[in-house]
Formats: sequence, C-alpha cells, structure tokens
Amino acid sequence: MNKDMFKNNKNFSKVSNIIESLTINPSPDSVAVLEEIGTNSSIDEVREMTSRALVKRNEHDSLHVVIANRGKGINDMSTIVAMSTINELLSLENKEEAMKVLESTISSEGFDEEVKENARSVKALMALS
Amino acid sequence: MSAIEKINQLSHRIFNTSVTEQNVARTSNPFAASNFQKNILTEDVFESSKKKEENKISFTGNLTAHSKRVYSTFVGSINDFGSRFYEGIQSLVSLGNKMKEGIVNTWNKIHELGQKEVSLEGAKDVLSRDIKTFFINGQEREISKMSKMDPISEVKPMFSEALSALEADMVMAA
Repeated sequence: MNKDMFKNNKNFSKVSNIIESLTINPSPDSVAVLEEIGTNSSIDEVREMTSRALVKRNEHDSLHVVIANRGKGINDMSTIVAMSTINELLSLENKEEAMKVLESTISSEGFDEEVKENARSVKALMALS
Repeated sequence: MSAIEKINQLSHRIFNTSVTEQNVARTSNPFAASNFQKNILTEDVFESSKKKEENKISFTGNLTAHSKRVYSTFVGSINDFGSRFYEGIQSLVSLGNKMKEGIVNTWNKIHELGQKEVSLEGAKDVLSRDIKTFFINGQEREISKMSKMDPISEVKPMFSEALSALEADMVMAA
C-alpha cells in the first residue's frame, strides 16, 4: 500500500488522528500508549508518525523512547523512520531536553554501542543546526 | 310686410316643406308648370331617362341565373380576397412578432443561464470551501475530543482497534 492509498484509507486517518491526539494529550500516559502500540507497529508510516509525535511532545520520557531504545525512533530499522525522527529532533525550537537525553544516552553504560553511536551522530547534527 | 314677417314666412317655407311640395306638379319636366322667360314649356325638353335605359349596354341580358351566381361568387371572392389578404398579412406580422419574441426570450434565457452558471460556479466554490472546512473542522474536533480522553482506558483500545483494521486493509491490498 503506497502513501496515496494510505491518505484515502479511513482507518489510516483514524490512526493518524489518534496519534495526533496523543501528541497534545497532557497526560503522561500518552507516551506509554504511543510506545506500546505505535512504535511496535508493523507499518512504517505508523512508526514514523509515532516517533515524530513523541519528539513533538518534547518531554524526557518521550524523547528517551525515540533516542535510547533499540529499534525505535533514530534507531529504527527503517531509514525513513530514523531520518524522519532525526529531522523532527532538528526542527525542535527548544532542543535542551533532547540534548540532555542524547548526552545521558551517550554517557550511560547500559546502552548498546550502536544506540550510543546514533545518539552521538544526532547530537553532532543538533549542535551544528 | 315687415322684415320679421318675411323671416317668419321664409322659415315656414324652409322648415315646413310639405306645404309647398303639394303645389309642385309631378311630371317628367319639373319646369313644365313654370314660367320660363314668360314662355310656357309645353314639351319635355329633357332627355328621357327611359331612352337612356334602352341605349345602355346590358350585361345581364344574356346571363343565366347560374352564371349570375358564379359571377357573384367570383366578385364575392374578390371582395373576400382583400380581407383574406389583409388577414394573411396580419397573421404573418403576428408570426413575425411571435418569432421575434421567441428569439428575444431565448436570448434572455441564454443570458440568464449564463448568469446562473456564474452563480452556480460561485455556489460550487462556496460549497467546496464549506465542505473542506467542515471536514478539517471535523478532524480537528475529533483530535481535540480524543486529546481529552484517558490514554490508557479510552484511547489505547481505539488505537489498537484502528491499527488492527489498518493492518487488515494492508493485507487485503497486498
């Protein structure tokens, strides 16, 4: 199913609206729902939307999901999802929280080397932007 | 005789003609009884009207009754021809007027239709804009409504259900 078919799909519109609502929902439980359902979806477009939503929330927990988790956000297997998440991080007006999460991920011993390497690269991009 | 009496007598002669007419002789010569320069005309010097009738060429002398009917019909038809011709012209004029009215009405209709198309175009623009606004507003209303729901108890089941339906659509599309 290509993007045009997604745009005309009623269920895709519904999923998109739910993700949008969880982006602006003030409840911290929204991050848990996005992480549990959105980032684990088999559909790239849904994972992409979820990652961007988590970045837009610009909270420690939501940014931690897309930066420090293997296979999610900037570490996603899909290049489109990873690049889209990085682009959203670079588009943030307030990058303070994102930089804190990136630094903690890089300096922490408990994360994979691959995750640390990605965090290092994104941090460098954000410093330049 | 005074002037007033003369006027009365004259008016009596003018307005009461029956009295004077009784004295006039009814002959072929109206002046026979009159004194014409003191000579009384004893003979009828005027041409007789009967003689005229004898010399007059008669068109009806040799005509049969049938021919008379035919000619009268012919003459009647000639007389009718004028009226019929006039009526024909009148009908042509009325036909022309009707055609003119028809053309004018058609032109006005076309003009009205042209204006209606313009107005329909405007209405279409307004409707399409309103429909787009309606859908955008509807989407925004739905997002705003869901953003006030509890994420775990309300949004999460909806999210799971919608995602499952989308995955099923993808399987069908594949």
